[in-house]
Amino acid sequence: MAPGRRVVITGIASHWGSELARRLEADPTIEFIAGIDTAEPAGDFERTEFIEADIRNPVLARILPGTEADTVVHCGILWYPEPGKSARALHDINVIGTLQLLAACEKTATLRSLVVRSSAAIYGCEGAAPSFFTEEMARRYPLKTRFQRDIGELEGYFENFARRHSDITCCLLRYQPEIGPGLDAPLARYLSLPVVPTQLGFDPRLQLLHAEDATGALAAATGNPVRGPVNVAPRGTISLTKILRLAGRPTLPIPHPLFGPMFSQLGRRLGAADLYNDGVMLLRYGRGVDNTRLREEVGYEPRFDAEGAVRDFVSKNAASRRLFPSPLPGAVAQRIVRSR
Amino acid sequence: MSATSETPMAGERPVEAVAGTAEFLRRVRSGLNDGLDPMSAAERAAVALPKTLRDSVQRMGRRMAGRYHEDEWGFDEEFAEAVYPFFEFLYDFWWRVQATGVENVPSHGRALVVSNHSGSLFPFDATMLVGAIMKEHPLPRWPRPMVLNWAFELPFLSSFMRKVGGIPASPFNAIRLLEQDEIVMVFPEGVKGTGKQFSERYRLKRFGRGGFVEVALRTGSPIVPVAVVGAEEIYPKIADSQLLAKLLGAPFVPITPTLPWLGPLGLIPLPSRWRIEFCEPIDVSEYPPEAADDRALLFEISERVRDTIQEQLYEALVRRGSAFL
Repeated sequence: MAPGRRVVITGIASHWGSELARRLEADPTIEFIAGIDTAEPAGDFERTEFIEADIRNPVLARILPGTEADTVVHCGILWYPEPGKSARALHDINVIGTLQLLAACEKTATLRSLVVRSSAAIYGCEGAAPSFFTEEMARRYPLKTRFQRDIGELEGYFENFARRHSDITCCLLRYQPEIGPGLDAPLARYLSLPVVPTQLGFDPRLQLLHAEDATGALAAATGNPVRGPVNVAPRGTISLTKILRLAGRPTLPIPHPLFGPMFSQLGRRLGAADLYNDGVMLLRYGRGVDNTRLREEVGYEPRFDAEGAVRDFVSKNAASRRLFPSPLPGAVAQRIVRSR
Repeated sequence: MSATSETPMAGERPVEAVAGTAEFLRRVRSGLNDGLDPMSAAERAAVALPKTLRDSVQRMGRRMAGRYHEDEWGFDEEFAEAVYPFFEFLYDFWWRVQATGVENVPSHGRALVVSNHSGSLFPFDATMLVGAIMKEHPLPRWPRPMVLNWAFELPFLSSFMRKVGGIPASPFNAIRLLEQDEIVMVFPEGVKGTGKQFSERYRLKRFGRGGFVEVALRTGSPIVPVAVVGAEEIYPKIADSQLLAKLLGAPFVPITPTLPWLGPLGLIPLPSRWRIEFCEPIDVSEYPPEAADDRALLFEISERVRDTIQEQLYEALVRRGSAFL
């Protein structure tokens, strides 16, 4: 039997990195799994080796070839700040980190495939945009926010790398925002606010990807990488109004010119910092992408559609149950009776 | 006969309706006292109401809980049906629309309905075309109009358009819809059509770059040309305000005999008489999808469709006679 595959995952301490490692551990054809990050991942792993390193550091170019990896999965791109990774460091981590990682990949002679977990933010959020972006439609609109420009920059490096190394299968996954019962992200926190501010007169179409499908697609692409970009999104779309109704959340519509300034405050509270500009645009115009390539070429069929992902989030997320005590006396009485 | 008259019907006996409402309110209150939230209390109490009212209370409750269907484009059929009566009123009484040849729209499968465009302020012609297909077709289906992109950047209008089935005008959207075997409605004249002067009425503008033919060829969809007569008279545009257009970012802001002189009253469209005539479909399935790259062919078919609509327009104008009476 041929020797098994050797996979290296960057950003192992992130939710996605560690979830992917746990999935891959169950796969007997994978001989070796290593994870790179600046901090040790939480939770136990069966056989994943942890390598403490910063992908922004050129020393990576000495570490990576030593692992004799044939597959590198880059999960180190951050959408929002995480503990130990401040908002200021995001640009460095996303752009410089990717650049250093690609440089290290050049030195790794054993490399056969590279999978990058990137974002669908490259398509932008525009009112008049095509309702479903396909992979060729990136950069139809100017990149407006900091995060979008970072993604644009790293996609540029990625394309350059893919062109120079035609023997390596380079796969770029463009993720729609994720949601899931156990996932603590700014969007989930937004949907769990006691009163949710929305933009008056706008009802964006959204595609929220279930966290389980997000990991599933990542594992599928690691097993069967295809060349070029692939959209990762559920089937269908769901409007913000419907999401909030399913979640039983009262809304507070605010005229959109006021929404931005107010939201940079709220964004900081939700843990999205100045990246919240992306959120403001997403919650005004929404975005839909076409997932045909994911289903037919990568061969991954998302388990949840857009509505199913929201329903699952709502039913399992304790914080999203009605926090609001009913203002009616009957409800209060009943609550007291029940608590006995 | 007697069985039906015994069941209480909404609006049939006002006294019963009033009694029903009082009973309804009593039940809502008792529901609230039982600790239900207002929506479920109303839903439970709705048994006291006449059937039609009860249905709408229950529908409201269901919708408020998020239990309704939207397709992947954001089209909400229930919402479209709820606003439909307003457009039906315009169709039947305000514009007295007469539609012919609706059966030229296929009952099954994809089709591209191509129409002239007019009605400067608000393109009511699209809504009346939808009405013609929904009211007069033996197997009605909701057609999906391609809407000027600008509308999708505005608050309220954007979400309204989407909920009633409007789609941002993009060839990618048109192709995807046709592949889903929908009826797509396009107005190749675009803003140039709606923004033309009253003196130029019923003279077709350029048909864009023939993008609609490309879409039809790629998807093998029959093209159904339509002539709409009447929409040119609803807001006769005698001038436009470039200053206001620039301020609003709008493609144009029309000045009509009533707008802006009568204030909000000027927004009421004039009650012209309408005719909507659907022509024989043009079958493009003889061409392979690669033919979509052939510019000369695109222009040829585009011209053919344009000539068909123009001729039909002149004939329909004669058949209509007087514009208002």
